[in-house]
Amino acid sequence: MRSILTIILNDLNIFFAQRGNLVGLLVIPVLLTLVVGWSIGQIGGGGPTRLRVDLIDHDQTELSAKLIEELRAANDALVLCPLDNDADDFCRLGEEHLQLERAVERARSGSTSALIVIPAGYAAALEGFERINIDYYSLSDPLQPSPVLQSLNAVLQRAGSASITTGVAGALLDNVTAAIDLPPLDKETRDGFLRSIYLRSQEMLTEQPAPVRFRVADAASDGEDGSLNGFNQSGPGMGSLYVMFTVLGGMAVLLRERRQWTLQRLMALPLSRAQILAAKIGVYFTLGMIQYFIVFAVGAAAGMDFGSDPPALLAVMAAFVLCITALTFALAPWMKSEGQARGLVLLLSLSLAPLGGAWWPLEIVPEFMRTLGRLSPVAWAMNAFQDLIWYNGGFGDVLPEIGVLLAASAVLFIFGIRSFKYE
Amino acid sequence: MQTMVETRNLRKTYSRADGSTIEAVKGVDLEIRQGEIFSLLGPNGAGKTTTISMISGLVTPTEGDATIGGFSITTQSMEAKRLMGFVPQEIALYPELSARQNLAFFGRMYGLGGKTLSRRVDELLDFVDLADRQKDRIDTFSGGMKRRVNLAAGLLNSPPLIYMDEPTVGIDPQSRRRILDTVKTLRDEQGMTVLYTTHLMEEAEELSDRVGIMDHGEIIAMGTQDELTQQVGEEDRLEITTGAQNVGEALIERMQQEIAGVTRVLYNPPEQIGDNGSESTPARLTVFAKRGRTALPQIIQTLDAAGIDIQSVEVLEPDLEAVFLALTGRALRD
Repeated sequence: MRSILTIILNDLNIFFAQRGNLVGLLVIPVLLTLVVGWSIGQIGGGGPTRLRVDLIDHDQTELSAKLIEELRAANDALVLCPLDNDADDFCRLGEEHLQLERAVERARSGSTSALIVIPAGYAAALEGFERINIDYYSLSDPLQPSPVLQSLNAVLQRAGSASITTGVAGALLDNVTAAIDLPPLDKETRDGFLRSIYLRSQEMLTEQPAPVRFRVADAASDGEDGSLNGFNQSGPGMGSLYVMFTVLGGMAVLLRERRQWTLQRLMALPLSRAQILAAKIGVYFTLGMIQYFIVFAVGAAAGMDFGSDPPALLAVMAAFVLCITALTFALAPWMKSEGQARGLVLLLSLSLAPLGGAWWPLEIVPEFMRTLGRLSPVAWAMNAFQDLIWYNGGFGDVLPEIGVLLAASAVLFIFGIRSFKYE
Repeated sequence: MQTMVETRNLRKTYSRADGSTIEAVKGVDLEIRQGEIFSLLGPNGAGKTTTISMISGLVTPTEGDATIGGFSITTQSMEAKRLMGFVPQEIALYPELSARQNLAFFGRMYGLGGKTLSRRVDELLDFVDLADRQKDRIDTFSGGMKRRVNLAAGLLNSPPLIYMDEPTVGIDPQSRRRILDTVKTLRDEQGMTVLYTTHLMEEAEELSDRVGIMDHGEIIAMGTQDELTQQVGEEDRLEITTGAQNVGEALIERMQQEIAGVTRVLYNPPEQIGDNGSESTPARLTVFAKRGRTALPQIIQTLDAAGIDIQSVEVLEPDLEAVFLALTGRALRD
């Protein structure tokens, strides 16, 4: 173990002794993270373009369905879970049915933007001009209402207005009937009349512009906050891109070590091949983690969020760096020259990064590009970062992504170790 | 004297991209004794580096094995490697690090540390006369200085055995002299066993207790210099350069039959050298003769009579070059 650490420290010493490497590791990533972070913030890409909202409907009536429909119409960024879940399980429900207890826990942990519970008797209460509570759970600050709460308030305001209209109409009907001494209406006729009043009111209110209509594209008007949130995209994105540049660059270094015979000299020392290989893997893994820490430190200074589960964030970083390290070792034996290796580093980094959503959120790209993006390890890492940073997810939420990255690492390492050229 | 290195049927075969194979080393049997300088002498491509790479554990033999101090390089490689130092033909140092940093790193890999490591690095920097440049980066050194640090890196663990693969390639005569003196010091003052590869006959002659002559992946002769030169007898070698583009077989035969003392005549035609073959070396006649100086007037007379233009004549005592020439029909530099 001491020998492995000695080789790692020596290689890091050599890496940092070259000023050109510091530019690639520090200066350019820091500048790009800042520029992209501010730019994305200004164009509204700093936050999720879809908001995961759990919705439990205990009422299951025509009016509760109408409320849900209104909610969708008020904000097209809302994904009501489980109703609007997609094939990719955006709602992160897995096979489990969404129960109230779990939904409350998801809202508390920040895995969802909010939970809305429509109680049983919602329709009856509206029609009867009675008070009823809709439960809303969210981590967002009540003094700075989130887009979800704004949308819900807008929809409920309409439903409430219709209910008031119905109540007023009922009172008016009773007073008119009494004033002109008409025989009292039977209950069925009275309820039918009031119901038609309610529905007509709803229709009229719906035809009016919604008092609040939230659109993701309007995020530019958020000003300073929007700019800061751009780092939630640029931090992980630029971090992942430069991890690839730095770690994949190891292909050329491994070739150079063979060319200058320092690798062979290590082979002549009393070291096993496994020790040498472990040390070389350790070097590039360490460099990748250093690269992430540099970019995330810049992100932190600029206001980037890190979610609420640092160990999970660290695990995603480690899994991605390990995967790229494995890719480096799988490709290195096939490189004929350092120039060829450097060309491949550029090609891979500049194609896998945007494909995987390192430059912009994958939500804004067409469906086929999103599917294609899954070929890139960056997509799995960015998906996990989104869950942790944007949705305050925990370890359980990013386990699938970590699993995929580790499985890819295992396959690539087996391939790379078997074909590694010592001689 | 104890055996330090022993190889048995050491063989290395490489596969080419087209599926064919090339046998770089064809079953080498060697025995190197403790405290001797043993040279592997042969032209470029003879298989010297592959042999030394197998013995040092860099390259896995296709067949056969080598033992270092009784430890097999294939099954007990850790124990075997602890007994040896390695000085490769290439400058196997980190150019971005200083001489001291390089030596300290490789010293740590041998398990040295603290004051022991620092003292050993100081000793070696003094030994190779680079103490005053110890903090300079390797990539600022001259070729000869790099070679000396390269040598020092192989001595860090004070090994009883050191391999040196053409350690004087590409350096100036002064640095070369310094390295040759160092090699002799290692044997004479530290009792070290040295396995030295070279394609330069003069180096092998100056340094070696015993020499193994290698060609086309095989040891074609092995022994002390006296033992080897006796293989070609007491014949002198006459190197004659000529402007003639061709020397007929008939003339060569006549010289062998008619001139007293001449046993063998070899003709090396001119070779194209330089860019695009713009220049050529003169043709060369090598004549083996007992009492070469006595036979010389008649040789010149015969060549003159045949119209062969003589440019220079050199009479050489029996040496390793002659042995190689006698065994292969080619000069070492070929």
